[in-house]
Amino acid sequence: MIQEIADALVQSWNNFSEAFVLFVPRLVAAAIIFAGGFIVAVLVRRVTRRALAWLQFDRLTLRSGANEMLRAAEMPTAEVLIAKILFWIVLLGFTVSAVDTLQFGPFQGLMQEFFRFVPRFLVALLVLSLGLLVSNFLWRATLLASVNAGLPAPRLLSGVLRVLVIAIGVVMALEQIGLATAVVLTAFAITFGALMLGLAIAFGLGGRDVARTLLEEQLRAKRERDSDAAPHL
Amino acid sequence: MAQNIVEQQSTLPDALLKQLIAVGQVDILVGLPTLNNASTILGVVRAVHLSFTRDFPRLRTVMINSDGGSTDGTPDVIRAGSFSDSDMVQTSHPLRTLHRVLSPYHGLPGKHTALRAIFAAAELTQAKTLVVLDPTGPATKPERVTELVGPIARGEVELLAPRYRRHPRDGMLITQFLRPAIRALYSIGLDEPLGAEFACSGRFSSHCLEQDIWSHESARFSIDLWLRTEAAAERFAIGQIWRPMSTLSGARATLRDVVRQVVLSLIESLRAHESFWLTASPISELHTWGIDPLEAPEPAPWDYPALAEQARHDIAEITPLLESVLEPALLVRLKEVTTGPQPLLDDEFWVRTVYAFAAAIRHGRAAVEHLADMFVPMYLWRASSFMARTEAEPTAAVQQRLDSLCDAFQRLKPALVASWKNET
Repeated sequence: MIQEIADALVQSWNNFSEAFVLFVPRLVAAAIIFAGGFIVAVLVRRVTRRALAWLQFDRLTLRSGANEMLRAAEMPTAEVLIAKILFWIVLLGFTVSAVDTLQFGPFQGLMQEFFRFVPRFLVALLVLSLGLLVSNFLWRATLLASVNAGLPAPRLLSGVLRVLVIAIGVVMALEQIGLATAVVLTAFAITFGALMLGLAIAFGLGGRDVARTLLEEQLRAKRERDSDAAPHL
Repeated sequence: MAQNIVEQQSTLPDALLKQLIAVGQVDILVGLPTLNNASTILGVVRAVHLSFTRDFPRLRTVMINSDGGSTDGTPDVIRAGSFSDSDMVQTSHPLRTLHRVLSPYHGLPGKHTALRAIFAAAELTQAKTLVVLDPTGPATKPERVTELVGPIARGEVELLAPRYRRHPRDGMLITQFLRPAIRALYSIGLDEPLGAEFACSGRFSSHCLEQDIWSHESARFSIDLWLRTEAAAERFAIGQIWRPMSTLSGARATLRDVVRQVVLSLIESLRAHESFWLTASPISELHTWGIDPLEAPEPAPWDYPALAEQARHDIAEITPLLESVLEPALLVRLKEVTTGPQPLLDDEFWVRTVYAFAAAIRHGRAAVEHLADMFVPMYLWRASSFMARTEAEPTAAVQQRLDSLCDAFQRLKPALVASWKNET
């Protein structure tokens, strides 16, 4: 009985020793990959920032309104943000590669998955950025156009449009990375449809008189606002 | 030179080209861009012909009418009012562009196209003096045409701009914005940057013809301003001449459109001439010909309290957008003044606001059209503020305020120059 226990212990020790001897070089390799990846990621971050500065990327972001939005969200400037994103993508890539080197069962194939995910993630980021830019431009244009036209509640109108466009951008980005696609799309469709239907019913049934009054006031206000420029020239 | 001639030929329709070749060289060319001006044009045409025959009998003269497609028979009236066919040439300029027809501040859509044709005709006929008249008047007497020719023909100046005796509470867009801005930035004491009439030398018209402005979007409504700023920036000698205020035609754009047009025009000029105005100083006062009318017509009334209320509402609505244009201190001050009972905006604050908008456009903090839209309520507030403040003041005191505003624009110019040059 004691002998059997001793044999089992020896066997376990031998197994552990063999596994340890096999694991240590992989661990060292993984550590080297991670450390190298960190250095490469830092370099990528620096080079990206310098390249974007040289290309005067800040002017583009200023013009498009992206900088303003990032500032409002208390985020760093666009070039810093892009450099950071690239840093994390490179670092994550090397980390996944390091983990893959360790050959842990549950993490097998992680590398392939990661490299399949990265392009989709980048496209999603691009879609989201474009969505933010378009929403910002439309918000600005709608606000100014409705103020100039004397429409009621210009901020509400432009704000709703902005949120709507951002929501569409987020949904498209989530769909791109395949994150809960069905749930997100269904939720978006239901919310959007319900909102529009609710507005249509409310306006059509309950607000006919209000709508008429509103339109009459609107037309009157527009006539007043469209004053002749002659006395000013 | 050969290329220039080819370009002019493509600018001018074949029929006009044939007529101009038949006319040959001329000394004085009078250009008359028109659009539905049948009610006023006859007096102008007769004045031109009387001026030609009475005051310049030995000079070769021609009048060119470029019509934008009048539907009220304007070209027929001009033909009927002309003494002979030999000294009158008619053509037309298209109004439709690729995008849209825009109603400009001067009420004459396509004026830039008409001017281009007139300039090209002046180049082909080698005209020494070119006069462009306002079809709505005031040149309804021959001496009003002749006086425009003199300083140019004698070579005293190369561009002669009109000057009007205005009441200081009249023409707010000119007196509160354009005149002081042009004076400070271009360092010239030009009273009327938007006046419809002008006279210029053949050399100046040739110079303008060579510039890359005619196909530009902004030329459609900014051509008058551009001509003056171009002359200043290229150091052509500029003079002014007293003219009676012209009767306003009915085809003008709305106030909001006009403010936008003027802002976009000025910005376009500032961009084109930045190498000049960034260093231009000191201010050169311009010689004025003609007889000072002394008496200024009473200002046209407008409902400034109502406009102030509109401006107050609009400024409150667009405050989030103004954050990208105005410094925080200016924004705080703006919120204070627009929540007060009376419209109020002092000179320094107004000038800083104007310059902040110019810098914002320079640095692309938003689309130019958006910034011009944002500027509209700021102007309405300032104009209303000025009207409210000067309501009970004597004319001399109001004039003093205008002079003081010009000084403020001049004094704060270095701040604009610094922020314009600043790359961030």
